[in-house]
Amino acid sequence: MLSERNSYFNKWEKRVLPFLLLLPAFTLIIGIVAYPIIRAIYLSFHSFNPLKPSIFKFVGLENYIRVLNDPIFIIALKNSIIWIVGVVFFQFLGGLLGAIILKQNFKGRAFVRGLSLIPWVTPSVLIAIMWIWMLDGNYGIINDILLKLGLISRYIPWLAQKDTSLPAVMIADIWRGIPFFAIMLLAAMEAIPDELYEAARIDGANSFMIFLNITWPLILPTVIITTMLRIIWTANHMDLVLIMTDGGPGFSSLIIPLMSYHTAYKQLNFGYGSTIAILQGVFLVIIISLYLRLLRKGESIY
Amino acid sequence: MFKKSQFIIFLVLILILFAFSIQGQKKTIVKYWLWLDDPTDPMFPDLVKQFNSLNPDIQVEYELIPLSQYYDKLVNAVGAGVAPDCARFKDWWLGAFVDANALEPLDSYLKNWNGYKDVVSNLWNTGKISAKSPVYMMPHQFITFYLYYRRDWFKEKNLPPPTDLSKFLEAAKKLTDPSKNRYGFGLRGGSGGQDQWLAFLVAQGARLVDRNGKVIADSPEAILANQWYIDLYRVHKVAPPSAPTDAYAQVLGAFQAGITAMMAHHVGSSVLVTQKLGEENVGVVPMPPSDPKKPATMVTMSGNVILSGSKNKEAAFKFISWLTEKEQMDKWSRSRQGQLPVLKSVASLPYYRNNIFFKVSLDQAKYAISWPPLPGVGYISAQLWQSLMQRALLGEITSKEMMEEIANALRKK
Repeated sequence: MLSERNSYFNKWEKRVLPFLLLLPAFTLIIGIVAYPIIRAIYLSFHSFNPLKPSIFKFVGLENYIRVLNDPIFIIALKNSIIWIVGVVFFQFLGGLLGAIILKQNFKGRAFVRGLSLIPWVTPSVLIAIMWIWMLDGNYGIINDILLKLGLISRYIPWLAQKDTSLPAVMIADIWRGIPFFAIMLLAAMEAIPDELYEAARIDGANSFMIFLNITWPLILPTVIITTMLRIIWTANHMDLVLIMTDGGPGFSSLIIPLMSYHTAYKQLNFGYGSTIAILQGVFLVIIISLYLRLLRKGESIY
Repeated sequence: MFKKSQFIIFLVLILILFAFSIQGQKKTIVKYWLWLDDPTDPMFPDLVKQFNSLNPDIQVEYELIPLSQYYDKLVNAVGAGVAPDCARFKDWWLGAFVDANALEPLDSYLKNWNGYKDVVSNLWNTGKISAKSPVYMMPHQFITFYLYYRRDWFKEKNLPPPTDLSKFLEAAKKLTDPSKNRYGFGLRGGSGGQDQWLAFLVAQGARLVDRNGKVIADSPEAILANQWYIDLYRVHKVAPPSAPTDAYAQVLGAFQAGITAMMAHHVGSSVLVTQKLGEENVGVVPMPPSDPKKPATMVTMSGNVILSGSKNKEAAFKFISWLTEKEQMDKWSRSRQGQLPVLKSVASLPYYRNNIFFKVSLDQAKYAISWPPLPGVGYISAQLWQSLMQRALLGEITSKEMMEEIANALRKK
């Protein structure tokens, strides 16, 4: 009798309990991740204006055909690629340099390490407003400095010219993201045992060779994961662009997520807005998988 | 014993809670949404407190939302069926919301409202979508665009006040000197610049729609008027190079800093401007027309609406009509939100008649023109105008192409 009950309980414990324990997490994932994605895909096949919920028309692939022939989407796509590649590359470069500097022994290092986090912990709205004023075409400090250094002959309206608006916002975002890379890479570098460096120095390696043969390969996994995260964030975040230029002047700094936002919330075309967002997701998956494939070779060294 | 006393306390607490909930049920809760230009201003919370104590059976609960997100949030709330009972509203959005049957016609309520005749009659039109339509928005606070100019600079160069557009352009050219970082006019190509733009368009006699509501935004007159405005930047170069993205903060900042000689805006900036530059240096004129006999400017109204999904429309009307009564309106207009009162009895108070900025603004109310109440205006003011204007200022599209797109958006159902 007792053993029978036990076996029944055992069965339950093995077959049902695990699922029961997973249920809270599963519900959360369904609610927060799966539902919005499915809803967006569903919306992208419809024409929908939230002010008129009664008119919900199935339009098939119309939105997708329209988006691929939309010249504004092509501009936004081009801008997005420049934005992602430029921002992540320079953030990484700055972060790597920062990590190497912060790893050195100098007086007040802990203080400087803390201080260097400031751009990363500043709210993005503040960053945007601050950079708008610094880049201002009439009395911005950046114009003032460049003019006094003799690098420009008159004030330049950085955010109001089509050739400089996107790079100007990129500089603000690069500034914001450098500490993220610096701190992550620094943590990876600190984890490298000192013996390796000692041995290399005894073998007569110079700093550059040490970096290339010890530091770089050992921080590579961190490099891969952090750049991947940053690519995703940079592709999705439109806070700085929204506040600093709102995609302008014209479409010169329009990126895909901002276009999706404009279409959905300003034009009240949620179907078309969802289509743009879905395509952005697809492109992102392609970029990330290409990126991982490229770097997988490097990983196999260790 | 101890347990018994605990039990009694528990029972009493339950009874108190129960009593409160019964009392709470008697009150009608009215949800109201609004934006305030200065959200820290205690004026509005004080008004709500006053209303709630005057009307013990109604409880007004308000939510403050920044203007930049207001339209998005209200649209979504209507779509999701969680809209407030009543809300502060802009004439820009009337077309889209009425088109979706989201607003309650107010005519039957207005019949019994004492203040009806006290409202400047031209201003009731800002709450309608056509001459014969019912009133959907109760006018409350409005602004008309006028022109500030640097009186000291004009005197220095012996220029007459810019009372018409040829004097305006003449002065703008003479006061522009890029080597000194000085420009004639603060053109606003960035966020929110459509109001200033429309003021210059109607001042030249152009219209977006004709008397019968037909869209004529792509008429030759409108295209020419728009060309004139674009030329300020592209041909005459009397606006700062940053004009395509300059929003309110930049335009105001440049005028305050002595970079621009003229700025088109409304009474909302008068205190900031005079504080910085000194009252004697700031002049103000009505929006300069091209033909002095046909003055026109832009008026934009913010009023109050009742959402058609509300279950407490009577109480909601009580609140929004109370806000439009003399004392409350005077309090609102004198606050940091200060805009123009729609009531004649308030506008005639010495406070408004003796202030040149209020006076010029109020005098323009007779002939001011608002955005046409068409569904497309919501999109034009939220996004389309800005990207079109910027491309036109950069020379990527012509005035004709721009006005055609505006006309298409206005014609869209």
